[in-house]
Amino acid sequence: MTRPAAVMDLPRRDAADKVRGRTLYTTDRVRPGVLHGAILRATVPAGVIRKLDVAPARAMPGVRAVATAADAPGMHGIGVADHPLFASDRVRYNGEPLVAVAADTEAQARAALEAILVEIELLPAVLTMEAALAPGAPIVHEGWKDYETLFEGGEREGNIAWVARVERGAVDAAFARPDARIVESVFRVGRQNQAPFEPRSALAEIRDGRVEIECSSQVPWTVRSVTARVLAIPESQVRVTVPPVGGGFGLKFDATIEPVAAVLARLTGRAVAVVNNRQEEMATCLCRENADIRIRSAIGPEGEILAREATVLMDAGAYGGEQVFLTTMTAHTLGGNYRLGAARLVTKAVYTNTPPNGAFRACNGVYNTFALERHTDEICAALGYERMEFRRRNVLGDGDLGATGQVFEGDVLGPMLARAEALRERTGSAKAKAGNRLYGRAVTVGTWFVFVGPSTSTVNLHADGSASVVTTGVEIGSGTMVQALPQIVAAELGLSPEKVAVRQADTDAGGLDMGVGGGRTTVSLGAASMAACAEVRRKLFDAAAELLQARPEELVLREGRVEVAARPGAGAPLTEVVAHAQARTGPVSGSGGFTRPGVPAMPGCAAGHFIDAIDIPVFCVHDAEVAVDPETGHVEVLSYNVVQDVGRALNPRAIRGQVQGGVVQGLGYALHEEITIDEEGRMRQVNFESYRIPLAGDAVPVALDLYEGAPSIGPLGAKGAGEVPILNVGAAIACAVADATGRKVSQLPLTPPRVLGLLRGRDPELRLDHV
Amino acid sequence: MTVTLRINGDLRSFATDPMRPLLDLLREDCLLTGAKSVCREGFCGACTVHLDGAPVPSCLVPVGLVGDREVTTIEGLGLAGEASDPLQQAFIAEDVVQCGMCFPGMVMSLGPFIAAHPGASAEEIRQAMTGNLCRCTGYERIVEAALTALGAPR
Repeated sequence: MTRPAAVMDLPRRDAADKVRGRTLYTTDRVRPGVLHGAILRATVPAGVIRKLDVAPARAMPGVRAVATAADAPGMHGIGVADHPLFASDRVRYNGEPLVAVAADTEAQARAALEAILVEIELLPAVLTMEAALAPGAPIVHEGWKDYETLFEGGEREGNIAWVARVERGAVDAAFARPDARIVESVFRVGRQNQAPFEPRSALAEIRDGRVEIECSSQVPWTVRSVTARVLAIPESQVRVTVPPVGGGFGLKFDATIEPVAAVLARLTGRAVAVVNNRQEEMATCLCRENADIRIRSAIGPEGEILAREATVLMDAGAYGGEQVFLTTMTAHTLGGNYRLGAARLVTKAVYTNTPPNGAFRACNGVYNTFALERHTDEICAALGYERMEFRRRNVLGDGDLGATGQVFEGDVLGPMLARAEALRERTGSAKAKAGNRLYGRAVTVGTWFVFVGPSTSTVNLHADGSASVVTTGVEIGSGTMVQALPQIVAAELGLSPEKVAVRQADTDAGGLDMGVGGGRTTVSLGAASMAACAEVRRKLFDAAAELLQARPEELVLREGRVEVAARPGAGAPLTEVVAHAQARTGPVSGSGGFTRPGVPAMPGCAAGHFIDAIDIPVFCVHDAEVAVDPETGHVEVLSYNVVQDVGRALNPRAIRGQVQGGVVQGLGYALHEEITIDEEGRMRQVNFESYRIPLAGDAVPVALDLYEGAPSIGPLGAKGAGEVPILNVGAAIACAVADATGRKVSQLPLTPPRVLGLLRGRDPELRLDHV
Repeated sequence: MTVTLRINGDLRSFATDPMRPLLDLLREDCLLTGAKSVCREGFCGACTVHLDGAPVPSCLVPVGLVGDREVTTIEGLGLAGEASDPLQQAFIAEDVVQCGMCFPGMVMSLGPFIAAHPGASAEEIRQAMTGNLCRCTGYERIVEAALTALGAPR
């Protein structure tokens, strides 16, 4: 296989500014003279607003505008439009916005919030999914039947915001077989806070009658459409631009405070900044949701999986948001890694009176993989299979069916397991470092996907031999905009990457894009840019054909020249060809689009799914060694190896950086990032003192083997590589701790008290009767 | 009250509250936004500046207590030219940066440490980074780049 020109370890072009403090993130663009917005939030989890008197706030010093629900009448959501910008009559979570104030200074805006008179009559709150699903439970959205449906097909009922179901094959018959051995497990995980260093921030102003928003977002087009919806104005009246983003990890995959800035800008006619402080950012974080999971499997005499049943309850919080969409992903994360004779998977997004949850790097894949792999090890323990052997026998291969009847292409997971063993041979075992502590090791598999969808790219080729690329992609730190896109466009046009400029996101300049997330950016923007380059080449070759007296199909681009393929040296510099085209037929530019091709599933298998099949599956194998201190319950990760399916590594060095970062974020989830909800429905952990993200001393170096060559429709066979490294970290650590301790590990994170509880058998076994 | 500070070599006076965090004065009054406002509680290190060459989290320093100490921000390192600091060069060359929000603070904290500890080990560098959080990178490349900046064999 020859290496495509696009493959290289291109350094990041934004690094020099970033290490010198010159990069202006949204939070750095709040200039003197800009008004400051602040948000009054409910301090109870459920209630009826009896009085909301904002007149005293209007009279406070420096106040320029006060906004309430009356100023933002529309509702937004995913699947169902259930979410207002400000609460009007009902409060559904502690922290829900009630009023926003714009003032000359932030201190004045916050002082004005204090002057607002609020009376809320308390209602009984449901703070857990168990409470929300209990018979006679208070209903979080009494008017749920009247909400506008944005996507058809999901069952909804009371506190159940959305249900996704999969049923393939004769599940009940398989469980009823006399030779079937049945293993059942339950699991529970808490929330995880993305904790990007730049909080959600937005600057809005009115220019030429339109709303212009500059914000720290992964989804400029969602900000545009949600702002238009809630303000009840046409989408064409909103422009969204996004400078470099200081981390997102999925938190910024939805609109939250951006429309608030827009409302205040409209009321004042001035530029308004809304920037979350750290406490607000964490208290209203759209976390990876807490979940309760039950999995049952029927195992046949040959160790094959005859059938699997699972129920996954995902806590949406007070509004459906991403969890409605993510119900879809159970099918692919619980049913996309092992061959299942039959499958019945039910996933429910459940409303509670708690802060809404959102998307976080590999989303529910992270805990579904934890649950699946712990369940797999429980099957092995109960039935006496060797863990690696059971996996080798049962992982999906070429032509096997996923849960929804999708046919998977290629043998990928099997060879990856072999590569993981080879990698372990090379790295060796760190068992000796465990000393007197309990040693454990686990190898886990995981399946995730690339969230393909619409992207657009326009490429302009200039007479100086440079190109500019216009998209609405966002650089959130993953490198797509500063590495992958320049590499791809440069290779397609025979330029050096330094000659390719990439425009930052602007919805007035670039076409539709689904956003940066789901490992899609390099794939979707890369494919759209390749299509744009094809048009550029066509125009260029037409112009060159005339100039060189050759046929267009005889021409190639080589090192800044258009040449006749068969006659190296016979041609003209690109600059000359572009100048010729500019004079004769017009400047050279091309546009390209990309969207998901829609891989087929088996008709009738899936209900309530936003995606019935995954267009680009991504597989991972993680191999962890741990030492557990029996005296303290502390878990040390001794070594961490990863084999990751990347399709084609466009920038191997950058991928290594993503894998190291993703694994360490996953170690936080597995070991110490814990969020609990107090009796008032608030998250208790709202700063870095109480919410412990990994420190340098917690990190372990990750040994990585990039698995290339698995089928992919991505550009040059690439797959997204930045999202998936976190996927099976919780699984690998939990399985390794179970191996070390001989105990059933059913919950994450594995904090020292929880591990001590397991070791000393003092905590009751998890039951989850409500699932 | 009036507070007079020497910032990146310039003597400047500000009419401000002496209890105001130095971070806010730098970002809002001087538009020196290289120091990042992330946790504002001294946990993350993203706002680190030098006072007389010593790294401090500027969110915890009231402007009234700076006195006549020289304030150096990330913008004051290497001033106009290219990033000449070996640590910055290693961060760029080794593709260490991701979102970048923590890096000005990393440079301000680790720079003086490696200058004072030319023989530092990876473990000592990790310990020196305890006050600087990073959410993107998983730290290892930062440690490796710091070793490169020290000219340590790898």
